[in-house]
Amino acid sequence: MAGTKRTWDGKQLSLQPTNPTMTEPSTQILSIFETFRNELDEHHDRRERLTKISRDITALSKKIIFSLQRIRKINAPLPPHITTETQTRFTQIQSLFNSALPDLTGPNNWRYQRQLSGAVQEFIEALSFHHYLQWQRLISLREVVAKLPAEVLVTGDDYLLGLFDLTGEMMRFAVTALSAGSVEGTGGLSGEQVGIVVDLREMRSLFEALSVPPTHGLMRDLGKKMEVMQGSVEKVERAAYGVLVRGSERPVGWMPDLSGGDVGGY
Amino acid sequence: MIDRTIFESLQSKIDEEAAVRDELHEIVQTLARNGRSTTAILSRAHSTPSDQLKPVLDEATREILAQKEQVTRLKALADKHPFYKYNAVWTRELQNLVSSIEICAWLGGLEEYKCNDSASFLTIEEVGKFLDIPVNLKEQDVFHLTIEEYLLALISMIEELSRLAVNSVTLGDYARPVQIGNFIKDLFAGFQLLNLKNDILRKRSDGIKYSVKKVEDVVYDLSLRKLIPKGNDAA
Repeated sequence: MAGTKRTWDGKQLSLQPTNPTMTEPSTQILSIFETFRNELDEHHDRRERLTKISRDITALSKKIIFSLQRIRKINAPLPPHITTETQTRFTQIQSLFNSALPDLTGPNNWRYQRQLSGAVQEFIEALSFHHYLQWQRLISLREVVAKLPAEVLVTGDDYLLGLFDLTGEMMRFAVTALSAGSVEGTGGLSGEQVGIVVDLREMRSLFEALSVPPTHGLMRDLGKKMEVMQGSVEKVERAAYGVLVRGSERPVGWMPDLSGGDVGGY
Repeated sequence: MIDRTIFESLQSKIDEEAAVRDELHEIVQTLARNGRSTTAILSRAHSTPSDQLKPVLDEATREILAQKEQVTRLKALADKHPFYKYNAVWTRELQNLVSSIEICAWLGGLEEYKCNDSASFLTIEEVGKFLDIPVNLKEQDVFHLTIEEYLLALISMIEELSRLAVNSVTLGDYARPVQIGNFIKDLFAGFQLLNLKNDILRKRSDGIKYSVKKVEDVVYDLSLRKLIPKGNDAA
């Protein structure tokens, strides 16, 4: 401020006359920003609630997958104790999704799509694995959508990424099943074991045939998922080979090594 | 057994989405091109004394109106799709446009769109009215200007004005830095009311204090040398 006039006790005088003109726009600005603050607070709260729900759903889905990995038979009804276990978890997931609905009205379902998409993918992984073990088929997107409240978005991308993760579960299941010794004395593979290998190979070629333009949102995760999926398929192929060739030689309780990348697990 | 049709329908979903994206991109690219010329015209304000600013503002207004036409096209197309699904395609250009509008208005342009003569900036509602788009929708899932976009545009405006404060002095205009200082301090106070989480808004608004400081330094230099015209420091 120019010309710093002061009162006898040193208070700046030149500020006084400027004040009335200054406060007018500034209170206007402050009240505008107060509205913004309330809106942004609501937004952050919604986002946090959904993130938390998403984490819970993810955890439950993982537990379902763990239970399912204890099954040894495919294309058959699930054992009762596993059914009860998974069923309660599916119900819990259902109610978690329901609790998210108030935050997903209007434009908000797409607004917070990223917050929930992790949960949706994990849920699809669990659900499709559950479905595959029973029927040895892939669950369709429409069937997935039917399992969830209509307001919850299940995008094609989420579904696709969920299927990628499914291949990982199929791999673990197949490798365990192959080693669990349903191989007959002759060393042949049972029909269902062959089935998983064939299915995985088929899925791999279908995944690889998808063409995704570089501007598409999927491109973010696709490369990594593709690599992991290819690795899974190869692990199963190697395991099947191993069982077939050396099946009769392996000790009881032998398990193919799952950790091996390029080196076969022998 | 794997059902091939599952993958076929996924592929067609991907293709559909890509087609929508391409269509939106085409409009946004035009918007961006017009936006660059708006910015170029407005940046002439840094080298034009304020009493000769009128032609610059008129030219900028023409470009802004050309951008407005693109926004209308964009709105027509985007309204057919979920708003937040494709919002990322245009949000940047829309923010740039809003900040150009704000700068133009602050410099004295776009007079007819301000409800309140004394206000030096357009509220989000005024921007929406000018662009003919809704703002801050909470229920309807159609094209609109979001609060975040508006706030980010204000931050760009603050940055631009802090640069203008320095250049005004070079042009011999010692009153404008004080005006700018008062204005952005008001906005800064507004931004400090917000509870920001760790996101883009937080990151960008952290920079406001440097803009404020930059202008304060200019005002300080001027006042130290008694260069500020009397009676002008509150304008």
